[in-house]
Amino acid sequence: MIKNDSERKGLIINILSLIGFIIFWHILIVLAREHIFNIPFMRLKDIPTPLETWNALVGSMFTQTYGPGLTYGIIDHIRASLVRVVQGGAMAFIIGVPVGIGIGYSRLIHNILNPIIEIVRNMPPMAWIPLAIFILVTGGSIFIVFIGVVFPIILNTIYGVRSTDARLIDAARTLGASQVQIVAKVLIPSAFPSIIAGLRIGFGVGWMAIVAAEMVIRSPVGLGYFIWNMGDLGRYAEMVAGMIVIGVVGYIMNISILLLEKRLIKWVD
Amino acid sequence: MGRLILKGVTRKFNGFFAVSGVNLEVADGEFVCLLGPSGCGKTTLLRMAAGLDAPTDGELLLDDNKIEGVNKECGFVFQEYVLFPWRTVKGNIEFGPEVKGMQKEERERISQHYIDLVGLKGFENHYPHELSGGMKQRVGIARAYANNPKLLLMDEPFGALDAQTRNLMQGELLRIWENEHISALFVTHSVDEAVYLADRVVVLSARPGTVKEIFDITLPRPRVRTSPEANALRDAILKSLGAEIKRAAGKV
Repeated sequence: MIKNDSERKGLIINILSLIGFIIFWHILIVLAREHIFNIPFMRLKDIPTPLETWNALVGSMFTQTYGPGLTYGIIDHIRASLVRVVQGGAMAFIIGVPVGIGIGYSRLIHNILNPIIEIVRNMPPMAWIPLAIFILVTGGSIFIVFIGVVFPIILNTIYGVRSTDARLIDAARTLGASQVQIVAKVLIPSAFPSIIAGLRIGFGVGWMAIVAAEMVIRSPVGLGYFIWNMGDLGRYAEMVAGMIVIGVVGYIMNISILLLEKRLIKWVD
Repeated sequence: MGRLILKGVTRKFNGFFAVSGVNLEVADGEFVCLLGPSGCGKTTLLRMAAGLDAPTDGELLLDDNKIEGVNKECGFVFQEYVLFPWRTVKGNIEFGPEVKGMQKEERERISQHYIDLVGLKGFENHYPHELSGGMKQRVGIARAYANNPKLLLMDEPFGALDAQTRNLMQGELLRIWENEHISALFVTHSVDEAVYLADRVVVLSARPGTVKEIFDITLPRPRVRTSPEANALRDAILKSLGAEIKRAAGKV
């Protein structure tokens, strides 16, 4: 992974920066609790310190039973949220890619679908939550993710198809390719990097959407539900731990798709 | 067979004539070079021969059949190579056989044959971005040949190469072409290249392009670029072309 001195230096700075942030966070909270310093209008002392957050994270990692009650662990919450994002994302991919190819390829399809898409894509996923609760018996959160992921995929697919080098299409035609073959063997492979980029952007949006959806569409498991519930209960250390987990999982998801991109697309300079 | 005939070919683009009344014949197995000032419609002529563009007036015939719609019996070689970047050398060369629905073994036999012919053995599984310009154009030529065309159309195929690679590739092209004699229409800006390659050199006039003068090159191949005969031909062609370049420049 690390190739040279400058990359090693960069990594060291990255790590120091994280450590620095944690120390700063700790000092800030301790100063507030000791009444030495506080930011006006903020209750800094109620924020857990890094260590408290860490302990909360470790403590709530796995499913626990309190008397007759059952509390899901963070691992279960991560799994539940990820499954929803993957389900919604997969649906968005299956529908978004053909729609994007159709719009990118055909002026007629573009003219038919574009006005609808241009308006619908400007409605944030969160704006769909009330409707989703209202009309969907189940899978509301998955639907919200779908809304978040599908538009980046459609737009990137359109862009990918449209930016196909016209000469490649000419070359394929002189080599005897039919219209269908041009779509399958020229437009789609040419748009592929752009489609994967759309998938990556989409999953980023989908991850934000799922957390919001889970807060509103209550189900007993999911990271969004977890941090909302912990906040409700006044267990701020668990809540902050949940927030950090959301960030870390989102980051890992992004990196994973980037790595997948590199593996799948060997032909780009 | 592969006889291309252009009869009174005219192509008008929004308000101006790119080419006007071009009459030309490329005999079966003949190598014809098109020379002309920039903007005289050389590429337009090639695109019409490939059926990628249609004449406003006149007609193009390949073996007495009118070219309408994409001409699937031609092999087009582009200046900037225009290889499929997501396909390997082998994948690019097999594109034509593949879209024709040829079986895998047959496709591989064909691609291997042309990979050997153009000298790319060992690079079968390389992607275009891993190849030099000269190698990319070898793939471009092999891809055109693998489609078993009756007519090769080449649009300044060596225009993007450095001078040394260019000379080398001209020799390579002739070697390949002599192996499988296919009629060829070759657009170039280089008089030297035309004299080295062609059976006939067609000089086009400034826009609107029309046939100005045709030079028969009967020198035996392989040709010596610096022979007195080659020099005399270059001189004559340059004079003919020079007048058109001046006219073209005057118009701009």
